[in-house]
Amino acid sequence: MTTEIAMTSQLIDKKKSTRQTWIRYLSVGVIAAGAVIPLVLQDAPFLMILASQALIAAIVAISLDLLTGNIGLLSFGHAGWFGLGAYSTGLLSQHLTAEMLIVVPMGMIIAILVAWAVGYILVRQIGKAFAILTLAFSQVLYALIFVFSHVTGGEDGLQGVPIPTVFSIQLAEPLVWYWLIYVALLASLFAAFYLRRSPLGKAWLGIRENTERAYFIGLNVARLKLISYVISAGMAAMAGGIFVLFNGATSPEILSWFESGKILMYAVLGGIGTIIGPALGAVVFTVAEHFISSYTDAWLIYFGALFIIIVIVAPGGIAGFFNSGATLRDTTPSGDKS
Amino acid sequence: MLIISLLLNGLVLGSILLLSSLGLTLIYGVGRIVNFAHGAFFSLGAMSAVWMMSFGLPFWAALISSMLIVGIFGALLDWGILARIRNRPMVDSLLLTFGVALFITGVLYESGGRHVQILTPPTWLNGTVHILGVALPTYRIFVSALAIVLAIALLLFLKISKWGLRVRAANDDGEMAACLAINRNTLMHSVVGVSGALVAISGAAAAPIFNAYATVGDKILILAFMTVILGGLGSLRGAIVAAYVVGMIMVFGEAYSGGQVALLVLFLLVMAMLIQWPRGFFGEGRTE
Repeated sequence: MTTEIAMTSQLIDKKKSTRQTWIRYLSVGVIAAGAVIPLVLQDAPFLMILASQALIAAIVAISLDLLTGNIGLLSFGHAGWFGLGAYSTGLLSQHLTAEMLIVVPMGMIIAILVAWAVGYILVRQIGKAFAILTLAFSQVLYALIFVFSHVTGGEDGLQGVPIPTVFSIQLAEPLVWYWLIYVALLASLFAAFYLRRSPLGKAWLGIRENTERAYFIGLNVARLKLISYVISAGMAAMAGGIFVLFNGATSPEILSWFESGKILMYAVLGGIGTIIGPALGAVVFTVAEHFISSYTDAWLIYFGALFIIIVIVAPGGIAGFFNSGATLRDTTPSGDKS
Repeated sequence: MLIISLLLNGLVLGSILLLSSLGLTLIYGVGRIVNFAHGAFFSLGAMSAVWMMSFGLPFWAALISSMLIVGIFGALLDWGILARIRNRPMVDSLLLTFGVALFITGVLYESGGRHVQILTPPTWLNGTVHILGVALPTYRIFVSALAIVLAIALLLFLKISKWGLRVRAANDDGEMAACLAINRNTLMHSVVGVSGALVAISGAAAAPIFNAYATVGDKILILAFMTVILGGLGSLRGAIVAAYVVGMIMVFGEAYSGGQVALLVLFLLVMAMLIQWPRGFFGEGRTE
């Protein structure tokens, strides 16, 4: 009996370590590829912009994975946080200062405060109600843009965001932008991996695997969930802030539920809970979207079909391909099984 | 005067929401699935009514055929796709129905849903009726009456038929129902079918009011979600009351503070409600 348990736990350890090794290899590969891209694309400014957008998408994907992968809560309204960050950062840079190192953190703080207030109630609901309410909240944020259309520009979007500065140096070169976003992505990646390994991350995983048991051993489940939600919203808002400064304008469409679906798609495509998987999924998806949408209008049909097929056939996503089928299921959060 | 007119309009919106939320509640109760594709079903119902009218069918036939089309589509969808993930974690079912919603929206975009299509009701439903000194279009009265009749029919059917007994059993206690030889898998096909048919006819009947286009159901989906949360997830009578509450809040909010603020007001109310009564009006909401 005891040997049996020991063997099982050994087996689990082995599976876990192969998974972690693969994630490590994948991470190093992706980070290296990201550093090589500007050397290849130096003479194609348009592709540089596309690459930068892909990296921004990767940051959003990581922020969603901080919530879904760590704690098993599914957010259907993550575009709301991205959009809130984008609009608040854009408005601040118009009315306050163009200094990026001031306005982006301020945009994050706004998102964090809002997320704290909303999340306080949201995280106390069961997983399905949480999913519904996140979608509803992102729709409320979307509606608010039109309520304050004299400030936000309403339907036309937020126009004329000034070129940002970092330490009073203007950012105009696509290459400089790329490196800046690349650094932000690396910081997000390391933050996510660091949180995963920290005691906080362990507690999150405990809640993901068995909320009831986590509660019984004395974890403050609601507070830990709230922390995860707030960090996730803050990171998404950072990506939104960088996006609006990079783009110089934004439209209300970045808050639509379709955008939230895309962010979920990044995570599902890459493999929820692997951190590097969603980032990779975001890059693959953004680039693929750009090239496929120039061939066909019916993009949404393929997008929906792909979504369905991946969820049914390969719930582990891209990262799942690098694993055996047995370990694949470990990577998806179990949530409340019913 | 204005208040009476708003009350009546709230009744109309509430009745449309009633059909959508009852379907959502049933699917949730039996299958423990939150159907994110419900709004797409609504749009599909509205669009298929437009298609049927363009084939020369009369209005009533278009309503019934859109109901049949989406009903059969829903049953096939459950059989072909949703049944594949029955025993998977909750996350998968949410993602899957979301993918279905995107897919249906995409198909509707490609088949004429990019533009607003107008559905004209038959002439005998034009004109206005005077109730309590307020003029209300006859068609709106017709829609609410239709929705209320269908909702009562559904509730009676649940109460007296064998099928209804099975659904209620699976809703109350899935495991016990399974022990009594109720096959939840096949039961779900019919439940998704019936729910799809209900939401489709509400979409088709509402098309002369809201028009028909690919994303007409998106707003209904959000409102129906708010309704089921207010009423408590899985509670039928909660959903009935909440549908009218949401309908009233939206109509009054739109009248007094503009369309977009109404949604914010509704959301704040739902949040306040969740603090005090997290399990809905009747305390019947599921916590699993």
